[in-house]
Amino acid sequence: MDLLRFALRKLLAGLPLILGVTLLSFTLMVYFGPDKTYQLLGKNPTPEQIAEIRHELGYDRPFVTRYVEYLRQLVTLDFGNSDSTGEEVNAVLARTIPVSLALELPGFILGNLLAIGLALTAGYFRGGWPDKLIMGLAVIGMSISFLIVIFAFQIWFCTSYGLDWFPVRGWKAENLAEYLRHIAVPTLATMFVALGYSTRFYRAVIVEELNRDHVRTARAYGTPPARLFYRNILKNCAIPIITRIMFTIPSIVIGGALLIETTFGIPGVGKVAYEAIVSGDQPVLKAVVGLTALLFVVTLLITDILYRAVDPRVSIR
Amino acid sequence: MRVTSTRYRTLLLALLCAPVTACDDASVPAPLTQDPDAGLKVYHHSMDESPASLDPVQAANIYANHILENTLDTLYAYKYLARPYELKTNLADGWPEISEDRLTYTIRIKRGVRFQDDACFPQGRGREVTAADFVYSLKRNFDPKNRPQGAWFWQGRIVGLDEWKDAGSDHAKEVPGLLALDRYTIQVRLTRPYPQLLDTFAQGYSGVIPREAVERYGREFGVHPVGSGPFKLVSYDSARAVLDRNPHYRQEPVDLAYEGYDPATQRYSGVERIAGRSPPFVDRVIFDFASDDASRWNSLTKGDEIQYAAVPPEKLDEILASRSPPRLKPEYAERYQLIVGLEAGFVFEVFNFSDPRYGYHPDPVQAGRNKALRCAIMKAFDWPARNESWYGGLARVFPGVIVPVTAEFDPDTPVDTITRDVPGARRLLAENGWNAGNLPEFVYGNSAGVKQRMMFEQLRAWLIDIGYPTEKVINKNYATFGDLSRAWKQNELPLISKGWGLDFPDAENTLQLFYGPNGSPGSNDANYRNPEFDRLYEEASVMLPGPERTAIYRRMNEILLQDCVGMTGLSRTRTYLWHKNVVGLPDREITGGFWIKFVDVLPKGESARPADLGQEI
Repeated sequence: MDLLRFALRKLLAGLPLILGVTLLSFTLMVYFGPDKTYQLLGKNPTPEQIAEIRHELGYDRPFVTRYVEYLRQLVTLDFGNSDSTGEEVNAVLARTIPVSLALELPGFILGNLLAIGLALTAGYFRGGWPDKLIMGLAVIGMSISFLIVIFAFQIWFCTSYGLDWFPVRGWKAENLAEYLRHIAVPTLATMFVALGYSTRFYRAVIVEELNRDHVRTARAYGTPPARLFYRNILKNCAIPIITRIMFTIPSIVIGGALLIETTFGIPGVGKVAYEAIVSGDQPVLKAVVGLTALLFVVTLLITDILYRAVDPRVSIR
Repeated sequence: MRVTSTRYRTLLLALLCAPVTACDDASVPAPLTQDPDAGLKVYHHSMDESPASLDPVQAANIYANHILENTLDTLYAYKYLARPYELKTNLADGWPEISEDRLTYTIRIKRGVRFQDDACFPQGRGREVTAADFVYSLKRNFDPKNRPQGAWFWQGRIVGLDEWKDAGSDHAKEVPGLLALDRYTIQVRLTRPYPQLLDTFAQGYSGVIPREAVERYGREFGVHPVGSGPFKLVSYDSARAVLDRNPHYRQEPVDLAYEGYDPATQRYSGVERIAGRSPPFVDRVIFDFASDDASRWNSLTKGDEIQYAAVPPEKLDEILASRSPPRLKPEYAERYQLIVGLEAGFVFEVFNFSDPRYGYHPDPVQAGRNKALRCAIMKAFDWPARNESWYGGLARVFPGVIVPVTAEFDPDTPVDTITRDVPGARRLLAENGWNAGNLPEFVYGNSAGVKQRMMFEQLRAWLIDIGYPTEKVINKNYATFGDLSRAWKQNELPLISKGWGLDFPDAENTLQLFYGPNGSPGSNDANYRNPEFDRLYEEASVMLPGPERTAIYRRMNEILLQDCVGMTGLSRTRTYLWHKNVVGLPDREITGGFWIKFVDVLPKGESARPADLGQEI
């Protein structure tokens, strides 16, 4: 019961966040976003046709009416049809979000596992050559532009100029082998860049934990390294690690990976969201922004529950 | 409430089952040229952008038309190989009967043509295409709910169509000038002669669709077009569109001579292989939307992915052994076919005549000074440098607005308006009392981007050469092309820099850009108003093609040049490569994509190029 009450209270507390985010983003869309009217006009429009398009887009309605309509859409999860393609926004998201998830999850999971492993190694050998090597590589990963990494990996792994092992473009997931073939290079590129940031962050957390008295004591008692890392360090580092991982999830689910999707010709939500931003496709934008805010609230809740799971001292009341 | 909970469930399921759903996606074909497993003959075509909507009434660009021209039928179409472009009959059964006064067209359509099988029809079986379908499809261009973009072709031209729209676009009501006389006969009555009418019936906007599909799919018809064309759209997303052969497409064997085949210049493409056979020749066409040049190039050169692509300008030196005549380096000639051709359109920069600092002015003296200023800026413009910097030196610069691919183009037009003359420009400014102190600000609007910024800097340098102070040449960025377009339509900028692709191969299509009544927000963004020009335009607009009309067009072009309307123009050269096992002659101009139904693919390793031909084309 406590947990349920806690969840409801958290969700209610998230309402102002959702209202704030939606109001701010909607204001930006309406007053500063691209005007879709002039993309939907023919080559030789008349003032009447401009007025007709504005009416069709709902631009001639008061701001408040439109914002209330947005909130209604958010509650009913009915965002209408895209202003660009005419497709139902829900259908667009249901088609593209799974693709982005399938594309990004392997890199996300492997990247974080590897980063934690590298951070533990670096922390254990703090100041030694493994630490310097890992941190040096992390800095390199962080320093190189993601775009350059993508192109370099694409040329190296996918083209006749390089190893030519994987497809340059396309998305095929009919079976596991094809799926792995198509996500291999995007996953490697994502990991290469994300690994640097994650490893440095996790190392900092682990090093801080290593300096604590209880760790020093455990070491003095001769606790084996594996047991020390698992029971005395990793468990105590869990809260910042969970925080970092959990707060990446909304952007993976809704945000997608624009550069990866564009370069590798993958029909995910990142490209759809980007095109909605630059073309002023408000129905798609409203859905992406609104759902991201909702997902953040849910993520906050789950994160709090996870805190309690890993650290009994954390209260959920 | 039920609907809402279903939506929640759908979204939740989509999120939870993401990887599984993705793995179950069986609609995407294998990325092989010929997929041995599926036994399909597949042609992979790449485009540098994706279309927004596939509703024919929104087919405003070549990207949408590439798909729609292969999915829907139009009454007329452009011949596959004839250049200059020529119309041919398509769904129409022969040429129309035209009344003596050229106001009434009676068009018969072919019998027995079926729409593609689709769930919108009873038992999913496509029914026969009728004259009423064409009438319905054209009327949709006048229904604001559809957000149509092609109404301007027929606005004020067809008796009663504008009134039908004003009365609420009720499809139950007839339009007197647009009737289905019987199941196979269409009658179009015009308010005045319209020589380009049949060209407009080759546009994607006039593609014939069944009412049942629109009623079934509603707004989603834009991602689910149904027609009677050679291919049927089976999937469409932001990365690709997949079209499968329409098994019921009518049998019409290819007559190469009728299609305008010229063995001297086109034999290299191997199109003789399709003579006497009925298209389509491939089972599946996949359009890859690859906006990134590097990725597109990598995919083309990989060998088993896309088979056709535009060559990025920075790759020209890598692939060409010679630019004039264009010839591939041996290592590329071994694997690819090449086509280099002028676009059917142009890029140009014209002054906004409603801006009293550069255009019309109530004071005749100031108006004269403004004209001198425009002429001086034209003289400052360095076309060869622009061509070299941005178009690989391969584009064609010409004086005026009649583009080289049209029959009305005059290669003997004097070139002084496109010749850089800095001393002449300075002299002109000085003679008319212009100096650094009184020159007006020159605000150059463009959409945000590195290339656009560099183009501005290049122009600023040329203006500085003729005496413009640096601070008076200002760059103004707009987030999107739509925002820039709004600025033009609302007369916010003194200069309009844009490109125009011909809708049909007739100079009228570019001359109308300066017809007074088409002023902003119409296509005449320059707001040019010249009574003599307008009179000639109106006179020519009802004339049939011929020497007399051509003479009028050329006179109109001269008027524009004499008035120093702007820096114009440049037709870009398109360079495309395609794999040698593809039989076809690509052309993305005019409606775009009309050639794809003739494409064939040979087994990998074979070449469509006749063995007796050398490398040169």
